[in-house]
Amino acid sequence: MRQDPLWRAVALLGVSWRRAALAVLLGVLALGSAIALAAVSAWLIARASQMPPVLTLSVATVAVRTFGISRGVLRYLERLASHTIALRGMATLRTRIYESLAVGRLESVASLRRGDLLARVGADVDSVGDVVVRGLLPAAVAAVLAVASTLLVGTLHPGAAAALALCLVLAGVVAPWLAAVGARSTEADGSAARADMASLAQEIVDDAAVLTVSGHLDERLAALRAADRRLAASTDRGARTSGVASALGNLAVGAAVLGALLLAVPAVASGTLAPVELAVVVLTPLAAFEALQVLPAAAIQISRSRQAAIRVVALLDSADTHPASLADAPTPVAVDDGEHEGHLVASALTCGWPGREPVVSDLHLTVHPGQAVAVVGPSGTGKTTLLMTLAGLLPPVDGTLLLDGTPLGSLPRATVAATAALTTEDAHVFDTSVLENLRVARGTTTEDEAAAALSLAGLDAWLAALPDGVHTQLGPDARTVSGGERRRLLVARALCSAAPVLLVDEPGEHLDPATADALVTDLLALRDSTEPRGLVLATHRLSALRTVDEIIVLDAGGVLARGTHDALLATCTAYRVSVEAESTQDPAAPSPTTVPCSRTT
Amino acid sequence: MKPLDPRLLRFARPARGYILLVTATGTATAALVVAQALLVAAALAPVVSSGASLEDVAGPLRWLLLVVVLRAVVHGVQERYAHRAAARVIMDLRAQLVARAARLGPRWSASGRGTDVVTLATRGLDDLAPYLVRYLPQLLLAVTVTPATLLVVLGLDWISAAIIAATIPLVPIFMILVGQMTQSTSQRRLAVMERLGAQSLDLLAGLPTLRAFGREHGPATRVRDLGEAYTRSTMGTLRVAFLSGMVLELLTTLSVALVAVGVGLRLVHGDVGLEPALAVLVLAPEVYQPLRQIGVHFHASLDGITAAQKAFDVLEVEPPAAGTLPAPDLRHAEIRLEGVGVDAPGRGVRAPAGLTCTIRPGRIVALVGPSGAGKTTAVLVLLGLLTPEVGGVSVGGLPLTDIAPASWREQIAWLPQRTALPPGTIRSALGGRGPHGGALLDGSRAGTDAEERLRTVARLTGLDDVLRTLPAGLDSVIGHGGVGLSVGQRQRVALTAALLGTEQLVVLDEPTAHLDALSETQVLDSVRALRDAGRTVVLVAHRASLVAVADDVVTVRSEATVEPSSPARDRAVVHS
Repeated sequence: MRQDPLWRAVALLGVSWRRAALAVLLGVLALGSAIALAAVSAWLIARASQMPPVLTLSVATVAVRTFGISRGVLRYLERLASHTIALRGMATLRTRIYESLAVGRLESVASLRRGDLLARVGADVDSVGDVVVRGLLPAAVAAVLAVASTLLVGTLHPGAAAALALCLVLAGVVAPWLAAVGARSTEADGSAARADMASLAQEIVDDAAVLTVSGHLDERLAALRAADRRLAASTDRGARTSGVASALGNLAVGAAVLGALLLAVPAVASGTLAPVELAVVVLTPLAAFEALQVLPAAAIQISRSRQAAIRVVALLDSADTHPASLADAPTPVAVDDGEHEGHLVASALTCGWPGREPVVSDLHLTVHPGQAVAVVGPSGTGKTTLLMTLAGLLPPVDGTLLLDGTPLGSLPRATVAATAALTTEDAHVFDTSVLENLRVARGTTTEDEAAAALSLAGLDAWLAALPDGVHTQLGPDARTVSGGERRRLLVARALCSAAPVLLVDEPGEHLDPATADALVTDLLALRDSTEPRGLVLATHRLSALRTVDEIIVLDAGGVLARGTHDALLATCTAYRVSVEAESTQDPAAPSPTTVPCSRTT
Repeated sequence: MKPLDPRLLRFARPARGYILLVTATGTATAALVVAQALLVAAALAPVVSSGASLEDVAGPLRWLLLVVVLRAVVHGVQERYAHRAAARVIMDLRAQLVARAARLGPRWSASGRGTDVVTLATRGLDDLAPYLVRYLPQLLLAVTVTPATLLVVLGLDWISAAIIAATIPLVPIFMILVGQMTQSTSQRRLAVMERLGAQSLDLLAGLPTLRAFGREHGPATRVRDLGEAYTRSTMGTLRVAFLSGMVLELLTTLSVALVAVGVGLRLVHGDVGLEPALAVLVLAPEVYQPLRQIGVHFHASLDGITAAQKAFDVLEVEPPAAGTLPAPDLRHAEIRLEGVGVDAPGRGVRAPAGLTCTIRPGRIVALVGPSGAGKTTAVLVLLGLLTPEVGGVSVGGLPLTDIAPASWREQIAWLPQRTALPPGTIRSALGGRGPHGGALLDGSRAGTDAEERLRTVARLTGLDDVLRTLPAGLDSVIGHGGVGLSVGQRQRVALTAALLGTEQLVVLDEPTAHLDALSETQVLDSVRALRDAGRTVVLVAHRASLVAVADDVVTVRSEATVEPSSPARDRAVVHS
């Protein structure tokens, strides 16, 4: 039971069992009122037909009216109670998912496809929450009431009670089971189609322009329709079973009435059952089945929620496996005051993504505030992977990485992030204001600091044109921002960070050469400011690197050469060739220091 | 809110047949409900009043058996086909919705509606299932079972019929009242749901970034707050929605109780017989049953109706009318942009502004200008994806708006800044050039020639270096957005595909972004190779190296629209 993903996910909702018990009690009383109403009015009519003194009926008439009122009121209270439980649970589960992804393995977040991710956090959490309202609580209420009405009829006529119990099992166990089987086959057949459908819909809307121009749009739309057809076909197959289930549930109600008549009528003739009681025995079942009406839906919900729970639990489990070197760190997490100078030393470092070939090996690197190191090399040589390792986001495959003398892996994540802040090439721009996007780096960034950082990143004209200044909303995925603006916004964000060491991946991308070089020069100037920073830049543009303290040239798998710009020009052929290639392709900028005339404003 | 929006029948063809089915099963159910009540009463009354034996009531019991079986069959058939119809309606609407969203263009979806449409298509529309499977049949039962049973009660005991008839109008009145109160909250709830979806997704998508700054713990509060806002807003809706349920149950149960008490008291005085009294007792709840079920499924189906209405609203946005003329052959025809200006939404800027230039066949044209000047937007205009606020594009003298889009785009290959590769293998990304690319890699005829050509081109673009790092080479599977390949690697795949293709006009948006100087040489060689093959190239360029290979350089400028500025004349300068 503890291993069942549904129960694990339901446990994550953090439901208070006292509240759940209250909801069940209210439900039993509400639907119990309906059964009591049917039983008492059947008795009332049958007794009245014997024309007794009216006074003998007064208790029954009051009871009938009371049950008529209590049912609606109690049901209202029950529904509020159960829905509150579920919604609170869903909020709790959503937060827990976020929290565990926030500390878990980076790949489990990075590799999820957007459409699928949306389906996971949204629909799956809703589904796990729904199981409380639509599955577990109604099932508990129905079970209590089924037993109670069988006992009631049993006191009058055991045979009719047995028939009723049989029909209750048919409607309350067999029909829901069949309905769940039908729904499960629908889900199992349809889940792949549904995931395809969601990611196709996302892809088509996201990449509509590219697909339109390349002529692939109709083909992708056809693929969407095909996925949807598979989804509809699985619904259709499941519907056959649920049609049978529905018919059986309906048949059970009629069969209970028919059975009661067949068994109890001879009992009246033989005198073992009073005629008045016959009316109760025959008419009560009609109401008793009402509590069971929701059970097929409940069973479907439980089976559907179990599938969602499996995905939710799998997502949590995949994120839960910490990177080996962090989880198995032999030294306990060092006590830390949070303040670090930012002296980062890598020795014989090998980096790579877990489960893949290492991309950089045997790397030695030292950086501290006031110093700048550039990592250069062709695309795909592992510059980004190296930066992510230096930022503590990926565990080193081999070698040591010390921050102020302490292994990076044994320091709290918050301390590492506060000391070495990474800006990746594909960093996310959030669907919020410019200011909030900069505050991602440091929550206390003021409007003035934000404006200063944007200006340093060359965005002052852009900022001036924004209708609400730094409070302008950027929209989803920042698609209204141009590529170059996005790049500079990310650099501005890095500038807002208080970390003594900044790790910046490709700061000059999407910028014209002059602006790119100016931006790198501005970044390098941070070394000499009042609060000197250490810098590690990954770049493939070399012209602006003349003043960098050390340049590390990466080539397939390792360090090809290292030194200052001038030293490398003299000693490293590949470096010299690259610099020459850059300047010959830049006829307008024969020397990196000359501002080229192509700089447009 | 209309219980049955006529637009549903208009937009979703499968809904029409379903309405017919529901009407048929509804009518049959009405007859069977009445028959069952009369037969139960007929079997029960003689036994209670005069102790009749089983043989005495055998007739009604036999008929009762038949009715019970028939009712179950009708019920099963209704259920079985309701799911099928719902799945088809949802499928139909989803396909139309996504297709329309894709055709409405990049500006429409960039304004946030794209994300909304995805949420609506993948989740919102599914709420139509409860509406179609549960709510709509009950709606039909309310117009068949309710009047039929009421008429029968009238024939049996007019006083009971009067009590029921007096309460029934209260049911819809209360439903309309409560429905109106619920509608605005339900629409708000859908908005909250979409916002929550988009924002939670945004936070999760940005988690790697948040973690890079060690800020991943702060937004947990935000996620919790979003969840609490969702709970509050939903409970607000539900308190009202359930109120409608309570009023309904109160009205219906209480009047059934009043009917039972009334009949009971009149039985004592001999004003009514036992058999009609029992029949009325069984029928009274059945009169209200469909109305009650409408109440039960009301709020679940309301989400479906609201989602459907949002879908209809999108479907009613007409995409700009497409031209019909065949596009002139770009091997000979010139493309001219004349005073093109596009307003950047919400930024008070026109970017580009007054862009005028000519793109001649077989030449390399570079669009240059500072970041945010509107170079990429100019490309969208050129591709016909965006209609400019002022100015226009003409091809060989024909306005682009008169040209059939398909015939225009089949002559164009476009590499956007963030290259999106179709899911599949690298081979399919290169070879699957869609309906109008060359069938270069289908392996059928001249398969080895194609492989040879691919090798040559891959060497030129540097894709061969990428392929060497992949164990599966050309057959490596790449996901949505090219997961597993870096941005630069994706770009090389797309560049190779463009070189292998036969489109006359190749549009490259910053092709050397993400590339180092050495691979930049490969891109420049590729661009030259394109020109050598006689193809026209439009480049969005930042780097001087790219500008240098261009035959024509066009400077793109933006201008502020918030303050009145001098008319933008000759804003674009063409150097040759």
